[in-house]
Amino acid sequence: MNHWMILPLVVPPVVAAIIMLAARHLLSLARILSVGTVVLMVALSAGLFWFAADGTVSVYRMSNWPVPFGIVLVLDRLSALMLLLTMILSLAIVLYAIGSDWDAKGKHFHALLMFQIMGIAGAFLTGDIFNLFVFFEVLLIASYGMMVHGGGERRLRAGVQYVTYNLLGSTLFLFALGTIYAVTGTLNMADLAQKVALMAPEDSALIRVAAVLLLLVFAVKASIVPLHFWLPATYAEAPAPVAALFAIMTKVGAYAILRVYVFIFGPDVAVMGGIVGQWLLPAALITLAIGMVGVLGARSLGHLAAYAAIGSMGTLLIAVALFTPAGTAAALYYMVHSTLAGAVLFLVADMIRQGRAGEDRLIPGPALAQNGLIATLFLVAAIGMAGLPPLSGFLGKLLVLDAARTVDGAAWVWGAVLVGSLVAVVGFARGGSVLFWNTTDAPSQGEPVSSLALTATFGLVGLLVMLTVFAGPATAFLDATAAQLFDRAGMVAATLPPEAILEAAP
Amino acid sequence: MPLILIALLPFLGAFLPAVMIRGGRNAAALSAGSVTMAAFVGLMLHAPAVLRGEVITFRLDWMPVLGLNANFFLDGLGLLFAGLILGIGLLIILYARFYLDRADPMGAFYTYLLLFQGAMVGIVLSDNVLLMLVFWELTSLSSFLLIGYWKHLPEGRQGARMALVVTGMGGLALIGGMLILGQIAGSYDLTVILTQKAVIQAHPLYIPALLLILLGCFTKSAQFPFHFWLPHAMAAPTPVSAYLHSATMVKAGLFLMARLWPVMAGTDAWFMIVATTGLITMVLGALIALFKDDLKALLAFSTISHLGLVTMLLGFGTEIAAVVAIFHIINHATFKAALFMTAGIIDHEAGTRDIKRLGGLRRAMPITFVIGTLAALSMAGVPFLNGFLSKEMMLEEVTKTTWAGSPVTLSIVVTVAALLSAAYSFRFVVHVFFGPERHDYPHHPHDPGPGLWLSPAFLVVLVVAIGILPAAITGGIVASAGQAVIGAAELPYYSLKIWHGFTMALLMSVVAVVGGAALLALHGWIAPLWQRAPRPEAKVIFDAVMGACVAGARRVTTGLTNGSMTRYGAVFALTALIAGLAAWLSGTSAPPVRDMRAITPVDAIGWILLVVATLAALRLHHNRLVALVLVSIVGLVVAVTFVVYSAPDLALTQALVEVVTVLLLLLALDFLPRETPREDPMPVHLRDGAIAVTVGIAAALLTYAIQVSDFAFESISAYHLENSKTLGGGYNVVNVILVDFRAFDTYGEIIVLGIAALVIYAMTESILQSRAGRRLVDRPVKLDAAAELHPLMMVVATRVMMPIMLMVGIYIFLRGHNAPGGGFIAGLVISIAFLMQYMASGFEWAAARQRVPYHGLIGAGIIIATLTGVGSWLVERPFMTTNFGYFNLPFIEEFELATAALFDLGVLLCVFGAVMLALESFARLAHRRGERASPNAMDVDPSRDIVPDLAPNLAKET
Amino acid sequence: MEALYSSAIGILTAAGIYLVLRRRTFPVILGLTFLTYAVNLFLFASGRLVRNMPPLLDETTTPTDPLPQALVLTAIVISFGMTAVIVMLALGSWLSGKDDRIDQPADDGQPREGGQS
Repeated sequence: MNHWMILPLVVPPVVAAIIMLAARHLLSLARILSVGTVVLMVALSAGLFWFAADGTVSVYRMSNWPVPFGIVLVLDRLSALMLLLTMILSLAIVLYAIGSDWDAKGKHFHALLMFQIMGIAGAFLTGDIFNLFVFFEVLLIASYGMMVHGGGERRLRAGVQYVTYNLLGSTLFLFALGTIYAVTGTLNMADLAQKVALMAPEDSALIRVAAVLLLLVFAVKASIVPLHFWLPATYAEAPAPVAALFAIMTKVGAYAILRVYVFIFGPDVAVMGGIVGQWLLPAALITLAIGMVGVLGARSLGHLAAYAAIGSMGTLLIAVALFTPAGTAAALYYMVHSTLAGAVLFLVADMIRQGRAGEDRLIPGPALAQNGLIATLFLVAAIGMAGLPPLSGFLGKLLVLDAARTVDGAAWVWGAVLVGSLVAVVGFARGGSVLFWNTTDAPSQGEPVSSLALTATFGLVGLLVMLTVFAGPATAFLDATAAQLFDRAGMVAATLPPEAILEAAP
Repeated sequence: MPLILIALLPFLGAFLPAVMIRGGRNAAALSAGSVTMAAFVGLMLHAPAVLRGEVITFRLDWMPVLGLNANFFLDGLGLLFAGLILGIGLLIILYARFYLDRADPMGAFYTYLLLFQGAMVGIVLSDNVLLMLVFWELTSLSSFLLIGYWKHLPEGRQGARMALVVTGMGGLALIGGMLILGQIAGSYDLTVILTQKAVIQAHPLYIPALLLILLGCFTKSAQFPFHFWLPHAMAAPTPVSAYLHSATMVKAGLFLMARLWPVMAGTDAWFMIVATTGLITMVLGALIALFKDDLKALLAFSTISHLGLVTMLLGFGTEIAAVVAIFHIINHATFKAALFMTAGIIDHEAGTRDIKRLGGLRRAMPITFVIGTLAALSMAGVPFLNGFLSKEMMLEEVTKTTWAGSPVTLSIVVTVAALLSAAYSFRFVVHVFFGPERHDYPHHPHDPGPGLWLSPAFLVVLVVAIGILPAAITGGIVASAGQAVIGAAELPYYSLKIWHGFTMALLMSVVAVVGGAALLALHGWIAPLWQRAPRPEAKVIFDAVMGACVAGARRVTTGLTNGSMTRYGAVFALTALIAGLAAWLSGTSAPPVRDMRAITPVDAIGWILLVVATLAALRLHHNRLVALVLVSIVGLVVAVTFVVYSAPDLALTQALVEVVTVLLLLLALDFLPRETPREDPMPVHLRDGAIAVTVGIAAALLTYAIQVSDFAFESISAYHLENSKTLGGGYNVVNVILVDFRAFDTYGEIIVLGIAALVIYAMTESILQSRAGRRLVDRPVKLDAAAELHPLMMVVATRVMMPIMLMVGIYIFLRGHNAPGGGFIAGLVISIAFLMQYMASGFEWAAARQRVPYHGLIGAGIIIATLTGVGSWLVERPFMTTNFGYFNLPFIEEFELATAALFDLGVLLCVFGAVMLALESFARLAHRRGERASPNAMDVDPSRDIVPDLAPNLAKET
Repeated sequence: MEALYSSAIGILTAAGIYLVLRRRTFPVILGLTFLTYAVNLFLFASGRLVRNMPPLLDETTTPTDPLPQALVLTAIVISFGMTAVIVMLALGSWLSGKDDRIDQPADDGQPREGGQS
């Protein structure tokens, strides 16, 4: 059994503990430990990615108990992909945080980051639905700490709302889990998958309630309308590196939806009657609309970026809601893209604020010290988030449109996605021309952006370019990923021991 | 040179000017020029083969999954356009070098220009329509940057945005159209699509595809009613106008119509839409152009008019008309680019381009005069100039076409348009170069250096040469481009020559030229009338629409997300309620299987207590202290419930957590206002009450539904019960699950606690450093509190309790595996023991005696727990695999030392550290509130004199 | 008795929701506490209710379902941590702000004190 796959859940907390023990007052040491760990994690998750890329499903049985009685970690293509994405993003984030001295604006940034990484990694790796709840809580509470990092009234207020909203979400999560356990008597995802698939359609009410309540929990994370209200203020007020890191947090919701509503409560499952897709698609369309409208109407950079994030989640979830392998592959491609592009946007927004002495509103101001450079970065981020060529966002949108072609309601999807991009283009054009063109002649008061921060950001841009250039191999891999996710029998067989597999399993 | 390289060269070279500008403006221009030249040469190497009728192709897989591949092909049409783009590009680069001001960032200009150039070449060379879309959108983006190049001009910014919105909209429509087209044809490769005429035109989706694609073409090529963006794009520097808005970008739409002509054209729909749109645009553009006083505006509208002309020709759907269209594209590109550059020169030298302020420049600027006049006359359609030839052939086709049911209507309308265009062309010449010389120019006008006039001069040479020897110069390219457009090997009969004999067309152009001259003579009269005539102003409408959209967007956004947590919470609750209900109703449920138990007195009492406490808490929640007490009562009832229903561990935990939580909230209440103001009106309370009650009912029903139903499959917990003793080594199954079966949950759980403490600590720090912190410090000392802070009795009591509670804690910890207890509960017990010291003896006293920092305890806890887990790797077992054996301590019952216990020790440390760190943080806030540090545990100690530093307080008190 | 138990959960939930919809941080926190009680009882009951059969193998032969108990225990601990954090947050926003309201000013384009951080 390969012990490698547990390291992302063991090393970061230990490093965090060491920081708490030894480096509580030594920022420099904390920085070294933090960067070192993240680099290690990138390498590790790259290795795991390579290991899972051929379709191998590795199962790690915690405490050596037979599945489904203990907790298992499951590493397949999807979780490996998400893991790698998380770690790469974290690397850029930690470098930016150091380069921009954000990590010095409050205590324990790096310790919290370590815990944050662990929580996200756990959510991607676990094969147990209650353990998923635990890791949701880990990543949430860490995110509470990071969100209010540095303090300040508006941020703290936004923090209170963020925490309150997510506590409501956690409560709902437990209601859903209780119902699931009360019906199926199991918590292991693979076991759930096979049992739900075997359930009698005439006793579907309870399990459907459970599934739908759980969907709402993930919808909160993924900020699907009408459960998106927590996002704008949170993202707008959070420290920039944290907001950028949150780009992966919404994806945790999307990931969970894919994992649970394809693998467990899949569209083909008798008791579910395919209700999830029917309800998710309209919600996703509205989410896209709300997001793009928000981009158009945004008065401040923070809200511009936040609503762009909502809009991108809308596009992503449209593809998810198709619940077809093609749609899922498109969703995954767009997920990788929008995570990176969203992070870039938030980092650029921070550079702009820094260059404008903290001014966040979209009003004319003195030109930035590095106007051309940052304008270019903003253009790149805008192109990415609006889904224009030549960046991967455009390819992602084409994939989504192509996948939606065959489903009913395709016209709606096409209309929403295309009009949505137009609205986003207008919104970003307005914002950009105010920020970079409509500048006053007054000398800039802000300080220039450090080269480390720039390097981190350009690193992410570089990844976007790679994702575009190597779209062929990428999409091929993602097709395989989607296929593996949709192969329920295969996943069940790979996770459960033969004696635990029920007869007539799908 | 491979086609992909021709398309990518400008992109790859785009960064060069940005770098070379450090070496001066010539270096930048030279780098841009050489990049373009390289691409141009690379293209021309293919020219002979293409003119022979060959088609050069290049194929490279990019996204096979989607069918988006880097496939390029070069045929006559591609060669013509690529040649125009790169050739005129070279002239523009030269011109711009001398046109732009020293202050303008020339590096950026050439970078944008090359980006645009690459995108254009990409469009005309793409074999794959999706690839073409990529380049298509790139032209919109790069032209946005070019139009807004003079960022200090507001009209530049607005014009750029307008162009981006209109062409961007078209581009998105085009995406839809192309996807449909590809779907119909079964491939996104043009070479495949172009062979499918029958299939495509018969397909039910032909019309939608056609409309979407045409929307893209019309917006790009400024066809009515999308023409309005082009004049506003004139805010761009003149080189940009000459390049994008006369020679290349606005022709992209025409190119695409020509490219898809073989499969899309020939239907009634095509004729009706395309020909009519072209006609309207042609007339309208010419009419408006006549009355524009700004030279560039005049040229912009004339461009619109000529684009309309070509569109109309393509719309006719006849092969010969298509060929004429190609010919006119060439001619228009030459004379119109020359005219724009002339206008630029005049603007540059005379300091104005307002016709009303110009005149008599023929002597001051002879070279410019010659260039401008020849180009303008060509535009007017005067013989021996290339404009005449294509206009002649166009009129010829018009006479053959029936439109709106009559054979003559079209001829008349087009003649009028030709007349108008002759008129504004003459106006360009007469009102600028002739007339009396003026001396009121902002600058002193004179001919510029060759750098500026060489480019237009070269084009005018072409104008004349083609005008005199059309076949010799353009015959080949027109033929091969024509073949490409009509997709047929042999061309229809046409002849590129000046004299076609006395034809209807000749008569029409004579009428046009003469009438145009006459109309110009009357211009002085008509112009005022026109100015007074009411007409819609596109920009006003556009701005109004955009403004409305933005305002609407703001209203929606701030209207929905208004920052009210109450709303968000209510929406959340209702969403959960409705979704859950809908899910329930969408399914069916089996009849109840489990029979209900009777209600015992204990149940009844507990229920009543709980309900009363809850309702009281709701009623009295404005008094926060009371509410807190009531809530803790509810918490205790919950704990009792756990006892009653066979969950001793839960009961213990719940009770202890309750204590700590209440302590936390009490400490918080020390700062927060004691009262919640009554600010909500009754309706609000009723609304919230209604929501709350419905959700509550739903929760109750769900619980009940579960109670009456049964597991669909045997629960996995059966296995836990079976193996807890034998394999887990513990009688207390719950604890075994926590530290063994599901130890990983517990691991996450203690991490959560650790993080919580960390977050609280970090926040305390940032509060203490912030303004808020200073405000805290400045708060007045509460005298009444200061004195009897640490009552004697309590201090003594806690001291006595301390060791006992510690023992209890350890005992609970040790027995945890087999009886209710365990690390978590023990941790809480011990922390409470310490808390009591803090409360009784004060923060400083306790802190002074604190040996280990709580951070360290949390860290140590996590590390111990982790290492315990990792330890199992040594024996080749997965994380957290346990091992155990039995030991016997004197005076304590037999207990067992399992690795699980070691893990549990980590839990204990982490819990203890977390709770203490959290409360310590609160205490530090409190401490800042002016509490005095007291060296002793007891403030009032009979055996000791009154501590001097406390004297004042006591004095005041007595 | 199950009906009684269910109704209790309903009442706790209703109380929680009502308090969460208040406009000050403290009652909202109390509301969340109520919701925690409710959901813990709910999760506990997902193993169905049994009297006097604690999952202690040496005391009873047919113990009740231990798994939900373990889950609830985890849930209690986690919600304790969460409560602690949100109390601190509420305190922070009260101390650094003017009031203990939970509402946010909307994106009204007004200047904001201190800008970022």
